[in-house]
Amino acid sequence: MRFNFWFFLVEALKNVRLNLLMSITAVTTTFICILVFGLGLLVSAHIQGVIGSVRQDVSVEAFMPNASSDQLDALAQKVRGWPEVAKVTEVSQEQAFAEFKDKFKDQPDLYRDLDQSVFPPSVQIQLKDPSEANDVAEKLKQEGFTEDNLSYPQQTIDRLNSVTSYVIWGLYGATLLFLIASVLLISNAIRLSIFARRKEIEVMKLVGASDSFVRTPFVFEGLLQGLVGAGLAAFAVVWINYLFVDWAHNDLPYVPISSDAVNAPFVLVVLVAVGVGIGVIGSFLSVTRFLRKI
Amino acid sequence: MIRFNNVTKVYGNDTVALERVNLEINAGEFVFLVGASGSGKSTMVRLILKEMEPSAGSIYVNGTKLSSVPRRRIPRLRRDIGCVFQDFKLLPNKTAAENVAYAMEVTGQRRRTIRTKVPQILDLVGLSGKMGKYPEQLSGGEQQRVSIARAFVSQPPILVADEPTGNLDPNTSVGIMQLLHRINRIGTTVLVATHDREMVDVMRKRVVALEDGRIVRDKVRGAYADEV
Repeated sequence: MRFNFWFFLVEALKNVRLNLLMSITAVTTTFICILVFGLGLLVSAHIQGVIGSVRQDVSVEAFMPNASSDQLDALAQKVRGWPEVAKVTEVSQEQAFAEFKDKFKDQPDLYRDLDQSVFPPSVQIQLKDPSEANDVAEKLKQEGFTEDNLSYPQQTIDRLNSVTSYVIWGLYGATLLFLIASVLLISNAIRLSIFARRKEIEVMKLVGASDSFVRTPFVFEGLLQGLVGAGLAAFAVVWINYLFVDWAHNDLPYVPISSDAVNAPFVLVVLVAVGVGIGVIGSFLSVTRFLRKI
Repeated sequence: MIRFNNVTKVYGNDTVALERVNLEINAGEFVFLVGASGSGKSTMVRLILKEMEPSAGSIYVNGTKLSSVPRRRIPRLRRDIGCVFQDFKLLPNKTAAENVAYAMEVTGQRRRTIRTKVPQILDLVGLSGKMGKYPEQLSGGEQQRVSIARAFVSQPPILVADEPTGNLDPNTSVGIMQLLHRINRIGTTVLVATHDREMVDVMRKRVVALEDGRIVRDKVRGAYADEV
């Protein structure tokens, strides 16, 4: 049988017009669901972006509390010989304190009562390649350093992950709930529209319409509802992302948030595809269930 | 064309609607199925359309044994049987022309074919001026004409009508019967279930009389009641 696209589309549009209120409900739920899902995608993309930029950090710091400058020299000398290392700087207590004062020169309260002895001397190591940071940290641990006396990017990444994983799982959980809710609501909308038209469907069947011929307009209806809800939500998500990146650049200049972290066309496509999937599955299920009964 | 072989139909609560009915209708025949309400006429019509299954016995339509037709093949079966009902069963949000066209769209016919065929068939049933009217804007007789046009537009070999004049006044009924008669003359097998006594007597066609689910009379040029 030929698939008459326009015939089914027009039939679906007529259905939507006849069940406008239920259609609006279904579209709204899909919108909310896809919006939450999209925000989840945004958050995880930005966290990945931040992690990525931290990973590009090439510095490893080794702190040596209570060490003499000779001990500092000895370590610096040794580390210079490692192949991964590009540059080594020794930082004395005085220098560390001076750096701190310089960094927070706007907030002198922070260091007014501070003694420079709280700043341990350290050796700052610049690497040739950020991917070798973990190896270098490992080597330093063999030299007697503990995790607490070292500072390298993986620590920041682990800390970020441990905090953000809860946020991300929470968002995924919420998304899942909203996904289920919108499948149910769309299938309910379709079911009501079927119930209102069950006599008609029986007539269609009597005239010799196959199940798929009866079903297709309803599936189109669900598809349209999913498409509209998800389309609006997808654009909202991309817009929110734009606002967020803009805000972060102005108000959080230290946090490496980049607009490259989110691939807008990809997000659009994924969100719309999920929304359409919800609509199609929801409507297909409810019509099929009804057709089995008659 | 249509054959009932010892068909019994019992509804859930032990109501016997048909009891060991044997009937053979040949191609091109015009047959009235008469009887009081509850005598089993509608049950026979619904069995022919495979809206339900007989409790015992077998039914053949167009050479096919209905019990061997799987669920998904039912639509194809129904396309070979035009059907007309007492309550017309038109789609309320489609115009007369769209209702007729729907029966063709169902079978996936070309839009060009539909566009030429629909006006022809509506003209044939005498509704060429009312193609764009919705069912609620048409009189009962006109709605029944639309439904006959829909049943006949794909030229099925069989046309089954269940009380086609049940909701119509006598004058309108004559027109509907004439229409069915014309369709029969083209070669379509027509089965009309009715209790419209006058109509049956006028037409002098084969009459099969049902009483409490049994065939009590089968006359080639019969009347509604036995001629004394």
